[in-house]
Amino acid sequence: MPLLTDTKALLLGFWTTWKHIFRRPVTIEYPDEKRVPYPRFRARIVLTRDPDGGERCVACYLCSAACPVDCISMQAAETDNGRRFAAWFRINFSRCIFCGLCAEACPTMAIQMTPDYEICKREIMDLVYEKEDLLISGCGKDPEYNFYRHAGIGVVNRRGGNPDEEPPVDPRSLMP
Amino acid sequence: MPKLIIDNIEVEVPAGTTVLEAAKKVGIVIPHFCYHPALGSVGACRLCAMKFLEGPVKGIQMSCMVPAQDGMVVSTTDDEAAKMRSLVIEWLMTNHPHDCPVCDEGGECLLQDFTVAGGHGIRRYRGKKRTFLNQCLGDYIEHEMNRCIECYRCVRFYQEFAGGSDLGVMGSAARVYFGRFEDGALASPFSGNLVDICPTGVYTDKTARFRARYWDYDMAPSVCPHCSLGCNTIPAARYRELLKTMARRNDAVNGWFICDRGRFSNSPVNDPERPRHPMIEGREAGWDEAFDALLFRIGELCELHGEGSLAVVGSGRLALEGSALLPQLAGLLGAGFLCYFTDDGAGDRTATAVSLLNTDNAASMADVRASDCIAIVDCDLLEEGPMMLLAVRQAWRNGAPVLLVGEHSPLEQAKAASIEAVQISFLEEAPLGLFENPVVICGTKNSSPAAIEKLARAEARVACLLPGPNAFGAALLAREHGGTSLAAAVATGKVKGIVAVEADIPVELLEGVALVAAFDWLPTEVVKKADIVLPTTAWTEMDGTFVNNEGRAQRFRKVMTPGLPIKGLPERYHASADKPAPFHPPRVHRKEPPGGDLRPAWRVIMDLIERLGGEKTEEPLSGKLEALRDLDPEGEGVRIWEIDG
Ligand code: SF4
Ligand code: SF4
Ligand code: SF4
Ligand code: SF4
Ligand code: FES
Repeated sequence: MPLLTDTKALLLGFWTTWKHIFRRPVTIEYPDEKRVPYPRFRARIVLTRDPDGGERCVACYLCSAACPVDCISMQAAETDNGRRFAAWFRINFSRCIFCGLCAEACPTMAIQMTPDYEICKREIMDLVYEKEDLLISGCGKDPEYNFYRHAGIGVVNRRGGNPDEEPPVDPRSLMP
Repeated sequence: MPKLIIDNIEVEVPAGTTVLEAAKKVGIVIPHFCYHPALGSVGACRLCAMKFLEGPVKGIQMSCMVPAQDGMVVSTTDDEAAKMRSLVIEWLMTNHPHDCPVCDEGGECLLQDFTVAGGHGIRRYRGKKRTFLNQCLGDYIEHEMNRCIECYRCVRFYQEFAGGSDLGVMGSAARVYFGRFEDGALASPFSGNLVDICPTGVYTDKTARFRARYWDYDMAPSVCPHCSLGCNTIPAARYRELLKTMARRNDAVNGWFICDRGRFSNSPVNDPERPRHPMIEGREAGWDEAFDALLFRIGELCELHGEGSLAVVGSGRLALEGSALLPQLAGLLGAGFLCYFTDDGAGDRTATAVSLLNTDNAASMADVRASDCIAIVDCDLLEEGPMMLLAVRQAWRNGAPVLLVGEHSPLEQAKAASIEAVQISFLEEAPLGLFENPVVICGTKNSSPAAIEKLARAEARVACLLPGPNAFGAALLAREHGGTSLAAAVATGKVKGIVAVEADIPVELLEGVALVAAFDWLPTEVVKKADIVLPTTAWTEMDGTFVNNEGRAQRFRKVMTPGLPIKGLPERYHASADKPAPFHPPRVHRKEPPGGDLRPAWRVIMDLIERLGGEKTEEPLSGKLEALRDLDPEGEGVRIWEIDG
């Protein structure tokens, strides 16, 4: 019977509205009032440092390869002691979709998402962040990890000096 | 031809083909490290296991060691074989460092690919990794021994294939070490191939160290311009900088490899001194203005010195497209001289060599590799065409005697590739008649035209090394259009103006010349002296064709966009021109890359032709050369005689 069901639906709707009149509002008066997102929230990206204070990023190009919108670019370079680092590192936040794939791809835990979601700008070039805008002085998540203490190339520890390595062998030795 | 069944697919291969290759032929690639088509099989890495179900051998076998035979039924997907492969790759990885992010091989690494393809993902081994100390191997190759998986490819290439003696294998047990006896630059002129041949990142290109990843390279099939052999290459560029050059396989020409000159001569393309803008009397100008000025000055010149006082000069390094348009340009400009070569001797010798060669007697590098006796006449291959030496070595390894003829064939070249050669004084002394496939290799740098002519009478095929990647094409055009050499033209005393199109002209020839115009991409002496400069693109920045020393036309493709490299971009192109240039690329938007307003030489010539009232076309190759328009850059190339008929 359409008349009966229609009336029921109508009343149900009015009832729901009526109920909400007495509820507390959920709308937040941004920007007077600000919400604190969870630590795993994906917003503005930073480049972190390892526990020894060195730049974590080794400019391996994996984040830029993973990025679906191609908004990361960089140039790798080498210091005198053989450490690979980013000579420049640029993220175009006007293109970033905050998917977090870069952070997931990063083998050194360098690139990380932060909960800072307030990055609107009037000038589009202000959304293009250079390395000096991205690099922070802390470790962010995974505060213990230093890639160079695991990679066997002898930058932080001498060659063969990492915990999972034997000291360099002598190839001229004839011992069995 | 044996017929076998691999994964239910029937495949027929030539006798002697390994089962690994037979599987590749039907698109099944089984992980393998020690096998390389140019080096053969040794069965050292134990990775290429397949299960042989029927036929003369049964069970799990290393497929690179088993020649295909009739009646074989092979499975690559068999559980036992797959398990074996995953275990082998797992133990090959036990000592491998955790350094892919800082390894230049990453992204183009066979070890990465085959570890995944072999089915190994998570490390189980908890023991410590063995480590090595590295060596300094010179300015071109970086050494990182921790990454080695002991496949022996490097020593097999270096010692057996290339005849080098200063890189080898040392040590025993888990200490097997690949390197030199002590630190020092690698001596072989083919050492750069270690970068390509090592399946891991032990040897990487030091000149491109930490510059880019494989997936970011601008790449295209190209041809090496550094001598006349026309080896096939893949140049790789990034951010408008040519970073490195890799070998590209072409069985008719270079095979799998290239020489160190071809691999490591990338810097001229990135030279900050390169002409980047049209210049009139040292002042930057627009293209139209420069064309107007050039035509005005040429008009003036003709009025003053009469018709025919202009010489249009090409060269052996100018691509065929530009070379083929020169006669039309010379005609429209009323030039008295059309020159494809600068100096008399080189022009004559190249012309003699080119008229001597024909489709039957011109020997390719593949012919040299298959030859059974080789005479090198008045030629230092290390200088005139290094890869020819590698081809000679392959013939020598198969038993061909190698004769060095004449005083200009130094013994050092044979020593560089560990070839035992016999020195003789005259070609007539060589017993070429006793052999089935003899080849005579002749240079054009130090020999005389008469000596080159004599080769026609030798009962052997001939390979001539010419001055420049397109010297053959230039000589053909010179013959067709009656070109002279610039030296001869200047000697007449009539030359008052020179239009040099990618031509290297000695300064003496420019003396007393009232007008010099240079179209070039290199900052040559001519460009520095020229009144009008029109900047052209390098070979990596354009499509084009080179005709190599055996008359083989090969197409090269545009690799990169021309322009000043981002690295080291001058302040004037950044947002604040008065501050020191920052590390990062400019924060300003531009339609064109700075310094990128260059045109291929043929395009510059075509623009001039159009201004002079000639017919404008988009196709520089016309007439007989029209057949080369659709040349496949990834094919073997086309011999010039094949398009005639
Ligand atoms: S969050 Fe996603 S879109 Fe943004 S930089 Fe990372 S990968 Fe690119
Ligand atoms: S993935 Fe990580 S280490 Fe690699 S370039 Fe990006 S931020 Fe740097
Ligand atoms: S250095 Fe490279 S090519 Fe040589 S054995 Fe080791 S992995 Fe193989
Ligand atoms: S032999 Fe000549 S063409 Fe071949 S790579 Fe070397 S320089 Fe280039
Ligand atoms: S490729 Fe067959 S054992 Fe190495």
